[in-house]
Amino acid sequence: MSSRVEAGDRRSRNPEGRDNGRRPDMRRVVYRETHSTRAAVAIAAAVLVTVFAAYGLLEAAVHAIGQPAWLIEPQVAAQRIVALPAGITPLLLGAIGAVVAMVGLVFLLNGILPGRRARHLLSGHAPGRPAVVVDDEVIASSLARRARLAANVTPEQVMVVVSQRQVLVNVRPTSGVPVDEGTVLAAIQDELDQMALDPSPAARVNVAPSGVVGA
Amino acid sequence: MNSTPTLLNRILLTILGLKLLAIGLLLMLLATVPAVAAWWHSWSPGVWNGINQMFNATRFPGRTQSWLWIIVALVLLLLIGLMVAWIAQQGKGRSNVLASEYDPGEVPGDVRIGGGVAEQALKHALAGRPDLAGATVTTYDVKGTPALKVRLLPRQGVAPHLLAAEISELLAALETVVGRETPVLIHIGAGARTRFGRAERVR
Repeated sequence: MSSRVEAGDRRSRNPEGRDNGRRPDMRRVVYRETHSTRAAVAIAAAVLVTVFAAYGLLEAAVHAIGQPAWLIEPQVAAQRIVALPAGITPLLLGAIGAVVAMVGLVFLLNGILPGRRARHLLSGHAPGRPAVVVDDEVIASSLARRARLAANVTPEQVMVVVSQRQVLVNVRPTSGVPVDEGTVLAAIQDELDQMALDPSPAARVNVAPSGVVGA
Repeated sequence: MNSTPTLLNRILLTILGLKLLAIGLLLMLLATVPAVAAWWHSWSPGVWNGINQMFNATRFPGRTQSWLWIIVALVLLLLIGLMVAWIAQQGKGRSNVLASEYDPGEVPGDVRIGGGVAEQALKHALAGRPDLAGATVTTYDVKGTPALKVRLLPRQGVAPHLLAAEISELLAALETVVGRETPVLIHIGAGARTRFGRAERVR
């Protein structure tokens, strides 16, 4: 069946080397999966603009047909804006300005920052295989399990923090039972090597000086 | 994976953010710095007079209203329409065709395989696994080529690379059945169900 489908492939856009044509596409897909699309902020911004435009539309339409304004006459509003520092307490004006500037700053930063999500790519895969993107939380819980087994402690005594370029493993040993930092680090490093994360984080183990009683 | 216009989102958000930031800073400076207030008083009445004259020059013959208001209303209407279109672009890209191919056999016509085939088959294969708290499979249309997204919610402590390798086997089997290579993205994620569910103990 497979060969027949291949034979009829002349209608697809890149009959030869489909895999080569697919690679950059996959890179783009992975990029989009590891970076925020800003869909939520974009919707919020669009709704904000729509609300203001709708109010403006209402006042303009009311004015165009010669009816009295709904909230404020546009001329009066413009005159107030022209006379601005007067007619309003400086505190209120400053507060309004601060709020508007803050909203603007949030939108601006969402627009220009890279917007990387807390995810890693598993790069240890052959070209034809599926691309795998993993949440940092999943990596952390997997590493925590491995560290717990290596240190021989309960799950509550291990805390793992995974960030883009660093893995921090905090272990609180059981009182009277020493934990070997090197063993834990070796186990974590082995697990990380198997995962082959991209970007690859550096591992650090932190054994707490005080132990837990009765664990 | 979906076709959310990320670049457009960034550009529009940056423009809107810069505008709001400028307005907010101007208001704050007006409230605090007298020199800015003096500049504002020398600059804004001129602009306002210009706008006023424009409105006066465009009155309906014999009436007091300007037809410029209708233009303003139309422009705002257009702006609202554009905003709605922008919102509608977010998160698009789901499709329900996994493969569609010309069939050179005796029977005339095309062969189409719906996305439901992959979704149902994979869901069924993943349903009994004890290390997964949930799994969803969706078909997307990425620039004209169908692609699969497999979202897995493993329980706490599951090694993601081993899970990915096993799912890759399943996907390879699916590819042999469908007879066509489909780009696949596996997303191993965490959610409320994995956070508060029981941890995976065996394995």
